[in-house]
Order: sequence, then structure tokens, then C-alpha cells
Amino acid sequence: MTDKVVVAPTPHAAHEVHHEELGFWRKYVFSTDHKVIGIQYAVTGLLFLLFGFSLMMLMRWQLAYPGVPLPLIGALFGEARMPGGTMLPEFYNELGAMHGTIMVFLGVVPLAVGGFGNFVLPLQIGAPDMAFPKINMVSYWCLFLGGITMLGSFFIPGGAAQSGWTSYTPLADIAGTGQTFWLIGMIFLITSSLLGALNFITTTIQLRAKGLTFMRFPFFCWAQFVTAFLLLLAFPPLEAAGVMQLMDRVAGTSFFLPSGLVVSGQALTNAGGGNPLLWQHLFWFLAHPEVYVLILPGMGIVAEIIANNTRKPLWGYRSMVYSLVFLGFMSFIVWAHHMFMTGMGTTMAAFFQTTTMIISIPSVVILTALIISLWGGSIRFNTPMLFAVAFLPMFGIGGLTGLPLGLNIADIPLHDTYYVIAHFHYVVAPGTIFALMAGIYYWYPKATGRKMNETLGKIHFVGSLICMNVIFMPMFIIGLAGVSRRLFDAGTAYEFAQPTMHWNAVSSWGAWTLALFQLPFIFNFFWSLRKGETVGENPWQATTIEWSAPSPPPHGNFLGTPEAYRGPYEYSVPGAAKDFIPQYEA
Amino acid sequence: MTREPSMRGTRNRLWLAVVLVAVSVWPRVAVAASSITGTVMFDGKVPALKPLAMDAEPVCHKKHGGKPAANEALVLGTGNSMGNIMVWVSKGLPAGKTYPVPQTPVVINQDGCEYKPHVMGIMVGQAYRILNSDGILHNIHTLPKLNPSFNRGQPATVKEMSTSFPKPEGMFQVKCDVHPWMSAYVGVFTHPFFSVTSADGKFTISGLDPGTYEITAWHERLGTKTASITVGANETKTQGFKFAVPAAK
Repeated sequence: MTDKVVVAPTPHAAHEVHHEELGFWRKYVFSTDHKVIGIQYAVTGLLFLLFGFSLMMLMRWQLAYPGVPLPLIGALFGEARMPGGTMLPEFYNELGAMHGTIMVFLGVVPLAVGGFGNFVLPLQIGAPDMAFPKINMVSYWCLFLGGITMLGSFFIPGGAAQSGWTSYTPLADIAGTGQTFWLIGMIFLITSSLLGALNFITTTIQLRAKGLTFMRFPFFCWAQFVTAFLLLLAFPPLEAAGVMQLMDRVAGTSFFLPSGLVVSGQALTNAGGGNPLLWQHLFWFLAHPEVYVLILPGMGIVAEIIANNTRKPLWGYRSMVYSLVFLGFMSFIVWAHHMFMTGMGTTMAAFFQTTTMIISIPSVVILTALIISLWGGSIRFNTPMLFAVAFLPMFGIGGLTGLPLGLNIADIPLHDTYYVIAHFHYVVAPGTIFALMAGIYYWYPKATGRKMNETLGKIHFVGSLICMNVIFMPMFIIGLAGVSRRLFDAGTAYEFAQPTMHWNAVSSWGAWTLALFQLPFIFNFFWSLRKGETVGENPWQATTIEWSAPSPPPHGNFLGTPEAYRGPYEYSVPGAAKDFIPQYEA
Repeated sequence: MTREPSMRGTRNRLWLAVVLVAVSVWPRVAVAASSITGTVMFDGKVPALKPLAMDAEPVCHKKHGGKPAANEALVLGTGNSMGNIMVWVSKGLPAGKTYPVPQTPVVINQDGCEYKPHVMGIMVGQAYRILNSDGILHNIHTLPKLNPSFNRGQPATVKEMSTSFPKPEGMFQVKCDVHPWMSAYVGVFTHPFFSVTSADGKFTISGLDPGTYEITAWHERLGTKTASITVGANETKTQGFKFAVPAAK
């Protein structure tokens, strides 16, 4: 009898056992690998961003030249939407509702959380994959189904939803069939986000590399971690609300329909007893934390890139982390500042405007820390850094212009004007989207093994920065003049709107030029896959763990078992041989 | 010479065919020539309706000479004859018989922030042409119970739109969501036996077969009146209607 000695495999070697070659469908389509899923999310998000942007460009034609037939392509949209190329108000509403929905729920969130979160987070914490790879796959396919449902609604009789991205009741309850599709689509999207959030939280806590304490987390990990909690806790009320609104529409319930509702002079025959304001509360209970879901991953990306390209540790890292957590908590108790106009009492208004003023403090702390981090740095102005640096003033403008909207007395005249559009677009367009662009240029080498072209990247950046401001700065002027954001003809019928009409044309030309400046990015994205400069595992001389993996990382991510020995931003350490000490090097 | 008997045979067959067609069609032509005509009158004290103030829409205000427009809910002619009354055959038509749908559309025009005409009938499937002569934003919103609602904006530059109604339906309202005073009424029928009175109160329903019919007269506020009437072949019968404001309870 021979004694057999069984050697327990190391964690990574154990993983190697499962490295069987997968077929095309399991490897690239129904993949459980976080990197493939991350890329699926990112590409889906980018495509939806492009689609949502296209909807907006159509709207901008109507706003710049109300009633003028859209040349060349206008007639393609059919008599029911654009007879003779002239946009009908219903189509404008369709475009408006779907632009908002697609950009938020199918563009930015999938890219910021699904894309960057999936691809970068496990690598950054030294994990071989997500904690629940199959749930991760289901999460993506729920998003995909939600996206298909939303897109499909454009082709049903009556078209897509027209009740705004907020789907306020009772309007949404009695709107056309497109609204039903919107609700079904949202249920898929919310389910996707909830599954993703569970996975992110579990992965972050359970699969951290040895030595990677919470205070050694890169700021991006913290941002994704807090974001996951926001999604997990804020989305269920909207999912419940979505089901309730769906029941109102298809099953005859009256959750959001009051008694005695008269529409177009005709009394509705619903049971009544519901409350339209309940929808607003449930919607904004999600949608305000959602604002932070849109911005926190962006802050995380910008923090990584600023530390890397200033060759300095982040200034006030701990303050930033505490601010982030506090911000996440506070984001749950500010939602009703979107509802000052609903006639809430002064006590409630006072509460919500106080919490809103308080929540600005952690945002300012983070932004200030990032700005101070630039001070004295040996800054490398590569493309990711340019986008990251531009994020700071753009988000700053967006954030600071939000303060008047958080105060009851100032919100009343500004509510629902173009000022609001300008404010939140500065936060999410030249704000978040710049951060996401920075992230794409920064982690593209990790995903593909090649760098994107710098010249094309800089053309993309300069054009985008100028155009974003040309688009959104005039909206502050239009909004301060009191022009409503809902007018399909930009206010043609109103005397007070006349002095601002020309600004719409300026804004629209900015938008169309912005589209042109995305062409270098699109070309660069595909061209660099084959022709980009080949890079090693750490092209940016960065410190965090993802840069210890090969580029692109193999299945299982790391060649060895990564370990964290220090904090995430050990740049320019006095006396060190080089200007960075990776946290994964002993 | 050899072709003559053959030509005669052809000529005879042609005549035979003409006679057969004439014989078969003649009774139909003959019987479908009956008519019902009449006058609709208003009875009692004429109520004073509030004129339509259009100050909110300068283009239309100007079209009306800067004065409020007459309220079209009650259009009276000489001797209190009533306009804008829809009269139609509501019972008595042969079951299952179908009638050709006119190729010409029914036209409604938005002119001076008023619908012209104010009351109209249309057949199922007939084109409904919506014009915008004002050159301002209107919104045409039908409020049927049985047909799909049509609710579409018509910007200044969109001069014409079109729709149709797939189901028969009694009178329902058409309104403008931009200009709340704008209102019109449409009835959708499976047959062409309807007529709208002009200010002289007169209506004519022609092309009926001999038979007994129920005809209904409708006013947007004063409700409906019905009458039963029998017409013979090629006969024109007269049936009048009177509407009055119901006495206060």
C-alpha cells in the first residue's frame, strides 16, 4: 500500500483547475467572467449613450428651429411623428422621455457601474471574479432585456413613453401603451441593478486580497461600494412603484389615481382613492440617490486618474472616504427637494432644504480634496487626465448651481425651467460622462493590452469640453428667463421667451458639433484595438492592484495571488527608488 | 354576306344584356329614391350664451376683429331655426346591408380658433382630413368611447393631418387642448343617411329605400329627439323637430 500525500492547492492553483476552454457562446455571450460582462455592460452603455444622444439631437433641431422641417432625414420618421419633416409635439415628448430614461438607466448607469464596476472592481481588490458569477451574467441579461423592451416601444402603435423620464402620475397612468413598455423595461433594469448591487457588495467584502483593508481601498472601490448600497436600498421602492403603476394601467387598480379624476372633460371610471403624490415620493426616493449613483463612480474614476497623473497621494483620502459614506447616507433623506412645488408644508420643506444644504458639504469636501491633490503635482496631461481635470470645474458648476434649487424659495421660480436642465446636465454630462471617458482612456490598456491614440484623444477632449459648455451654459440664461423645460417649441408662443430663442440655436449647434467630436473617439476606440500602442501590465506606472494583472487579464485575472502591502496611492515617496510603489509589491 | 347573321346575333345579345341590366337595376334605382326632410326649431326663450373670449390667442382674437366670437353651442336662424343639429337614421335600415364609403374626405378646419364645421358626420373608414388654417399650434383631440382616441398636436407649419374612425359611434366631442374653448362633434356611421342642419334648420336625408325608419336629431347640449317615419317609393316625407331648454327642476 502506497501512502498518497494530498497537497491542498493554493487558491489560485485551485482556480486553474477550471480553466477549460469555453465555446464562443459561453465565452463571449453568456459569459460569467466579470471582465467580459464588464465589457458587455460598457459597450451596451456606450451604444445607448449614442442612441440617447441621437434622440436629443433631434430634439435640438426642433428647439433651435421650431416647426421647420428637418432636412434630409425628417421625413424618415413618418407622418405620425414628423409629417413633412416637421416634428409633432407628441414625438418631441417621446424623444424627451426616452432621452432621459435611456441616458440615465441604459447609458450612464450600465457604463459607470456595470462596465467599470464589473471590469475594474474585482481586479482592483485582487479578486479572481465576482462572488456570484452567474448572478452577474443574469444581471447583464436583465439589462439587455430592459433595453430591448425600451427600444421596442418605439415601434408599437402610439410610440414609446411620453410622460417624461419621471413618469409622473396620473399622466403616466392614462398615457399610451408605450408607458406600459416603459414600466416593464424599468422592472428589468431595476432587477438588473439589484442583482449587480448584491454582487458588488458581497465581492467587495468577501473577495478582497489579503492585506487589502478598507482604508487601503482605492477610492474607486469605495465609490463603487457605496454606489452598490445606494442601488440596493433605493431601487426596491421604485420597483414596487413601477409594479403598482403597471397594475393601475393594466389591472384597474388606483394606487396613483385619485377619486373624481376628470381627463379632457370626461370623468374616469377608475376606483379612485389613490394618490399621485405617492408616485413622486417613491420615484424620487430612488431618483435622488440615483443622482449619486451617476456621479460617485465618476468621482472614483477621477480620483484614480488624478492620483496617478499628479504622481501624488490623494489629498485627504480619509476625509474623502468619510464624505463618501456620509454622502451616501444623506442621499436617502433629500428626495423631496424635487417636490417643493407640490405644496408641501413649510416644516417639511425646511427639513428637506436643510438636508440638501448638508449633503452639499461632503460633495464639496471630495471636490476640494481632488482640486488640492493637483497642487504641487508633477502633472502628466495625458488624455485620461485631461478629462479627469475637466471633470472638476464641470461638476463644480453643476453642483453649485444645484444649491438654489435645494432652497424652497429659490426653487419656486426656477423649478421646471431650463435652469434645472443646465444644472443636472453639468453634473452628468460634462461631469459624469467626462469621468467615464477618462476611465475608458485609462483602463482601455488593461482591457485590450493597447493604448488609445493620444492625439485623437486630445482632439476628442478639446472639442467635447468646448461643445459641452456651448450646449449647457445658454440653458442657464434661458432658464433664468423663466422658460419651461417642457415646451416642444422652446417657447415660441410666449412673449417672455422671445429674447432667449436664439440661445437655443447656439445650444443646438453645440450639440451637433459635439457629435462630430465623438467621431475621433469612436474611430480611436476600434482602431486602437488592432493598431494601438502595445503596453505591458502597468502602462501608467500606477499603484493599485489591477495593474499587477497581465493586460488583458486572463480568466482568473492574476498570475499569482495578489496581496496588498500598503495604501493605494504611494506616489513620490521620499527616498524611494522610483516615483511609485505599487500596493501589491512587498 | 356570311358575316351578317353573326353580327345580327351579337347585336341581339347586346340588347338583351342591356334590357336585363335595366330590368334588374330599375327597381333598385326606383326604390332608393325616397327622402326625409324637415326643419329643426328652437322652442321657448332663447338663452344667452357666453361668447368665446380668445384674448389668450392673439392670432385668433384678431381674426374675430378683436371681439369675442359667437358661441356655437346654439346657432339660431330666422324664426329660431336651429343649426348644428345632426339628424340621422338610427333604426330601420336593412340589416347586413353595406354602403360604399365615399372617396372624398370629411374636412374639419381649425380657423379662427374654431372648428369648421362644428358638427359633422362621417362614415366608418372614411378619411377625416384635419386642416390648420390658423398657422398656430393646435391640438386635435377626439374623445370617443368606442373608437381609438386621436390626440395629436398640429404645429403652425403642419397644415394638414388625416385619420379615420374604424367603428360606428354616436356623437362624440373633438377638442383642442391648447385652446379650451374649441369644440366640435363627430358622429361615425355605417351608412350615409345623416345630415347636419345649417342655420335655417333644414335637413335632408335622401337615397332611402321605402320603409319605416327611426330618425334621431341631436344637439350637443339639449340631447336627442327621435321620430318614426314611413316613406314609400320615390316619396319625400317631412319630419320636423323641436328642441327646448328643459324646465328647471
